Amino acid sequence: MTCEPTATSGPVWRSYGVSRRSTRTVRVRISAALVAATVLAVFLVPPLVQLDQQAVDLSSKLLSPSWSHPFGTDDLGRDLFLRCVYGLRVSLLVGAAAALTATVIGTAIGAIAGALGGRADRALMRLVDTFSSVPHLLLGIFIVAMFRAGVWPVIVSVALTHWLSTARIVRAEVLSLRARPYIDAAISGGASRWRVAVRHLLPAVLPQAALAAVLMVPHAMWHESALSFLGLGLPTHLASLGNLIQGARGSLLAGQWWPTLFPGLFIIVPTLAIAGLAGAWRERINPRRRSELML
Amino acid sequence: MTAPVLSVRGLSVRFLMPSGRRIAAVTDAHFDVAAGECLALVGESGCGKSVLASALLGLLPANAQAAGGAYLGDVDLLAADERTLARTVRGRLIGLIPQSPAAHLTPVRTVRSQLEETVVALTGTRGRAAVRQAAEAAAERAAFPAGHLDHHPHELSGGLAQRAATALALIGNAPLLLADEPTTGLDRDLVHHTVDELRRQVDVGRRALLVITHDLAAAERIADRMAVMYAGRIVEISDATAFFGLPGPRHPYSRGLLGALPERDFIPIPGMPPELGDLPDGCAFAPRCERATPTCTTLPAAAAGLVCHHPHVTEDLRA
Amino acid sequence: MARLAGRRLLFAAPILLVVTFGVFAIAAASPFDPVKAYAGTAALGADAETLERLRDNLGVDQPFTSRWWHWLTSAVTGDFGQSSVLRQPVAEVIGERLVWSSLLCAVAFLVAVLTGTVLGVLAGRRPGSLLDRVVTSAAYSLEAAPVFWLALLAVWLFALQLGVLPAGGLTDTASEQVTFRQVASHIVLPAGVLAVSQLPWFTLYVRQGVSDALAEDPVRGARARGLSESTVLLGHALRSGLLPVLTLVGSRVPELITGALLVESVFSWPGIAAATVEAATAVDFPLLAALTTLATAAVLLGNLLADLLYGLFDPRVKFSDM
Repeated sequence: MTCEPTATSGPVWRSYGVSRRSTRTVRVRISAALVAATVLAVFLVPPLVQLDQQAVDLSSKLLSPSWSHPFGTDDLGRDLFLRCVYGLRVSLLVGAAAALTATVIGTAIGAIAGALGGRADRALMRLVDTFSSVPHLLLGIFIVAMFRAGVWPVIVSVALTHWLSTARIVRAEVLSLRARPYIDAAISGGASRWRVAVRHLLPAVLPQAALAAVLMVPHAMWHESALSFLGLGLPTHLASLGNLIQGARGSLLAGQWWPTLFPGLFIIVPTLAIAGLAGAWRERINPRRRSELML
Repeated sequence: MTAPVLSVRGLSVRFLMPSGRRIAAVTDAHFDVAAGECLALVGESGCGKSVLASALLGLLPANAQAAGGAYLGDVDLLAADERTLARTVRGRLIGLIPQSPAAHLTPVRTVRSQLEETVVALTGTRGRAAVRQAAEAAAERAAFPAGHLDHHPHELSGGLAQRAATALALIGNAPLLLADEPTTGLDRDLVHHTVDELRRQVDVGRRALLVITHDLAAAERIADRMAVMYAGRIVEISDATAFFGLPGPRHPYSRGLLGALPERDFIPIPGMPPELGDLPDGCAFAPRCERATPTCTTLPAAAAGLVCHHPHVTEDLRA
Repeated sequence: MARLAGRRLLFAAPILLVVTFGVFAIAAASPFDPVKAYAGTAALGADAETLERLRDNLGVDQPFTSRWWHWLTSAVTGDFGQSSVLRQPVAEVIGERLVWSSLLCAVAFLVAVLTGTVLGVLAGRRPGSLLDRVVTSAAYSLEAAPVFWLALLAVWLFALQLGVLPAGGLTDTASEQVTFRQVASHIVLPAGVLAVSQLPWFTLYVRQGVSDALAEDPVRGARARGLSESTVLLGHALRSGLLPVLTLVGSRVPELITGALLVESVFSWPGIAAATVEAATAVDFPLLAALTTLATAAVLLGNLLADLLYGLFDPRVKFSDM
């Protein structure tokens, strides 16, 4: 215990512990800054830098990081930093498309289950449970295998495996809303169920759905990179981050670590930043439950 | 006169809230407890009694600050560091019988395992058979039936849980027992039984007992002296027979407390106790006191175990 | 307890039915052509009659529902059909490789649970301390890292740079038998990487459980009794704090399978996960269908295990209530 002298000859107070200041605001600010940096890099760098990221320059093959090439070059002499930025753009776009699709599906099913209740609800929830019994990547691999690799099969496969959590969240929200008096009032006032659903339930559900969508983007990115890495994802010419890592395998075995390391970092940092920011958002719109972890 | 077991001088505890507010939970507590004696600390809920108990054991939360002194033998409980508290004070110099005893036991372990663990930690007993025996003996000291030793805490009734907690508190053979609301949730017969058990520890074991309670009837049964707490201050310390019989309590609040009992006048004290973060400058009871005068806006000096400008003194009663 | 297990197994059956039905439905909706897959490039040059016979054999013209039923009825007897790529009965393919995958997953899981618990306790005993913040940040970062990326970097570091561990496979390329020493040295990297990818979840949950438990009444009571801080931490806080983790352990099976899929690919580990990737690349439908069913069954078993552990370890819960 530490002693704290007082100004007057009053009691001498001793403390029982150090109350540690929360680092939450700092973390949120860092996350926000990283997300902003990601968005800027992805959308501003390509038009500004004017370099063709595809330009092959075999004379500067596989240079390790230096001042002119901060991340080094890949096996065809292309600047790795640029490749990573473009790769991030592809991964983010595919991830966002998949997350959006998953959210739409999940919101629809969750809303229907919550609004209809009864047997339809139970049946739909059984469906949710069934889907969650198959490991995501395996189902994703299966769908892509059946439909052949390509952009849309990847998006669909990611979406079909990730709609479950959104469905559960939306259903819970709809169930709690249904119990509210203003909904009852609207229905007994003569409004059709459809009208009630669109004018009241939907706007209330949107924040949760939007949050779920944002939280899902990192997962979707991860999933797409895994598929691309296995050679079952996006076509190689699209050069997503997963494709880049797969393409770097050859150089890795020859000892060049940078074509593998940096694309991975470009997956991790935006993931952490988005998760951090979205997590803080979630804490603001949801009451906090101690035992829940944002994993 | 023998030295008291526990000697509390000017003990104050305050909490620093995140908003910057300060909550004065205990202010300037002064009392002694001697061996073979029971002091009952009474007051309404939220007056700071349990905080005082936590302060004595060094179990206050991180945002707490304490001042003053509490002397148990050679040890100043408030100045002691965590190591001293954990190794020499808790369980060994002070035996705590906590409020909600079942909640203070780990739910996934049996009563027996927790008794044995305490036996190993506090006594020198070693060896499975010896430890098992010692644990069973400890249970018996508190009249805890051996058949229930292999149950889990949630399976115990209120009375059994109380006895288990007492058994655990007695293992270290501490000179001071601290019972925090030992009669909450028990029905009348069990209340009598429980306090009689505690009294037995005082009489037979020559221990000092500090009982924290809001149950005045139970206090009457067990206490040698009474300490009344209001809004964090101890406003009166009296001999129990004088308190419950004649001449009666001296502080208007204590009079009010007794008067509120169903067995007596059954008249409640008007108003509500103040917020501990928002205490007035003078006597905290003045807003509810029928004897209040403008003098009461200043804090009364402590005199002969009483903090009041207008106490009920013997002359009044003769009148 | 047996009744709970029985009830769960009963519920598992419809889920497996729906999943296998879904698998066949997806296949039917896709451009997948079983004839081409079976015959491979030979189909291009074959004449119409052979193709017709193949079509009949494979039952291509029947609706997928009857193909599904046919497959299901044989699967129950243990016949999962023939792998179109490996020309072996699927059951055989799985049988050969299942043991290696199980070994990898078991080792990785054990390491992850033990290490995660230790780290979680160290971080949770003083929330907000430097160690806690380091462990928590590392855990969140590892969770965000793709496991195949970690695997590649591990190969680079340990196999290429330091040269202390083999880069892949079950045994050294030169050796002809499978010895314990070989397998042991070859399993270190893949199991290590898989463990590291599963570790953060355990660390964070144990940390949460322990730090929550330390703030609650049972720990206050234990401290008040004069028990040493390590006894309080291990005998009380950990015991209560570990309970939610234990019960959720079975639900980690999907993540374990996903991780194994990627790790086995990087390290050329001869398990069923690697076979899955090969099957997907070559569109080997019978093998894929069987593997999906197997994985689903594993997940359901994991959930059952989680419930059983919950009933066993939490004395407040009775099996009849579950």
